Amino acid sequence: MANRSIDNLKLGAFVLSGLVLLVLFLYLLSKNQSIFSSRFEVKAHFEHVNGLVAGNNVRVSGIVVGIVEEVRLVNDTLVEVTLGIDEAMRTVLRKNALATIGTDGLIGNRVVNLLPAEAAAAFIDAGDVLQGQKEVSTEEMLRTLDQTNSNVLAISQGLIQTIERINNSTQLANLLNDESLSRDLKAALSNLRLATAAASGTMTDVQTIVGGIRAGEGSVGALLRDTGLLPELQQAMRKLQSVENQADHLAQRMAALVQEVDGAVQDVSADLNQGQGPAHLLLKDSLSAARLQNSLGNLEAGTARFNENMEALKHNVLFRRYFKKQARQKN
Amino acid sequence: MLRPKKNLLLSEIGDFTRFVVRFFREAVRPRYEMQELIHQCFVIGYKSFSLVGLTAFIMGLVLTMQLRPSMVHYGVEAEIPAMVGIAIIREIGPVITALIFAGKIGSSIGAELGSMRVTEQIDAMEVSGTNPFKYLVVTRTLAATFMLPVLVVLADGIALYGSFLGVNIYEVLNFRLFYTQVIDNLAYYDVLPAFAKTFFFGFAVGIVGCYKGYYSTKGTEGVGRSANSAVVMSSVLIFILDLLAVQITELIWHTR
Repeated sequence: MANRSIDNLKLGAFVLSGLVLLVLFLYLLSKNQSIFSSRFEVKAHFEHVNGLVAGNNVRVSGIVVGIVEEVRLVNDTLVEVTLGIDEAMRTVLRKNALATIGTDGLIGNRVVNLLPAEAAAAFIDAGDVLQGQKEVSTEEMLRTLDQTNSNVLAISQGLIQTIERINNSTQLANLLNDESLSRDLKAALSNLRLATAAASGTMTDVQTIVGGIRAGEGSVGALLRDTGLLPELQQAMRKLQSVENQADHLAQRMAALVQEVDGAVQDVSADLNQGQGPAHLLLKDSLSAARLQNSLGNLEAGTARFNENMEALKHNVLFRRYFKKQARQKN
Repeated sequence: MLRPKKNLLLSEIGDFTRFVVRFFREAVRPRYEMQELIHQCFVIGYKSFSLVGLTAFIMGLVLTMQLRPSMVHYGVEAEIPAMVGIAIIREIGPVITALIFAGKIGSSIGAELGSMRVTEQIDAMEVSGTNPFKYLVVTRTLAATFMLPVLVVLADGIALYGSFLGVNIYEVLNFRLFYTQVIDNLAYYDVLPAFAKTFFFGFAVGIVGCYKGYYSTKGTEGVGRSANSAVVMSSVLIFILDLLAVQITELIWHTR
């Protein structure tokens, strides 16, 4: 009997795990499909629903927020689609949201996309009617394509005419058959090639230079690339300006000085010319010059004689001792 | 317990129908053999789990690996989890599990009851006052009916895990994305009909095994025949029920 109860225990665990798995599975599904979350209904009007059926998803910005509850034909140009939207969207969606019908992937199920409108509006409420945007249907695309086709036809017909005209034209044939033309063209082309080669060389040089400049080589490079140079340059400019100011000041003062000097010179020259004072006598009177020379000669002769007298004095008895003593002290 | 001559398919069906009707009559009538029922649940359900689990795991893994080339060809290998999920939950999980179950349980019930019949244990039971139908048939059939759904649910889980490993052989896919993709592509109308039909599968396996065993004849040779035909018939019945189930499901979910 103990064996039985262990068996029962195992059985219980087995059944329970199965039930738990089932419930978990159903719960995940219900969470995903939000079957237990409450919804409110809004309607959307379309002209054409492109095969939308009840159960298709409703999306806002790519997130599923509800399902299509019902698709009903109201009259021959109006389809009323009832959308079940999650309650949480009451504070997200606006009354003027635009409903469009799209496709999930390239060939997937139809979906209703709710797009926000630019204008402000109150939050959505149950029973609101959203405006449906007309989608481009395959039929419309084909109709446009038809139009495009006939246009292409007209264009190709015009093209045919143009080509025929070109084919029938004798001038073009002449032009094409002209041999000198091709020769000229060839020469021109070879010139062009040479020019291009030269230009290419030049460009290479320019490139090298520009590369150097970019790398900060040379003075231009330094000028362009050295960021430390600018403040220094600015400082130098400022100093230069102050020096200039000082120079300006100096120049003014010098001008004043020159004026003064000028005045003084004028005074002196006036004095000199008008014959007053010794300077005038010295510079302008030739007689006094001769006299002065004479005086100077006399003075020279007098000085020579005085020298002799002095020499004699040295050798005098009275003064000889003094001079000897002086000579000793020198040595 | 007189046996009518069964040389015709029609009389076989008639016999079987009568057997089923008798089962229901006996099942609802009081004096329930609860102890025996629980013991049979253990034998039929729990003891089949390892076999069913192994096959389910391999099924999920192999299905994924087999589907992969085609999916890659169409450039939709990202849809493998969704596809495998739908295939396992809707069809392969229930049917493969039921077939394995039929092979293991149908044959064992057929052989057990058949040997009891040919060794006249059933007759002895009747004499001793125990209702052999209640004690043997009702308990086994009910156990099969209730255990197969549990086995299928567990098998689905194991098969999906096998499929997850199968996807990860070729590419790196985390479990969260895998289960999101599986769950995203399933709805209640995928899971509930699939779950509901497993009760019928279980019932079919149990009742056919009991029927074949209960009316076993011709000694030990008959026991082998009972076991064999129980498996064959219950397997065929599973497929027929599956066909009916899918049609009924379509009918219900499309008139919505």
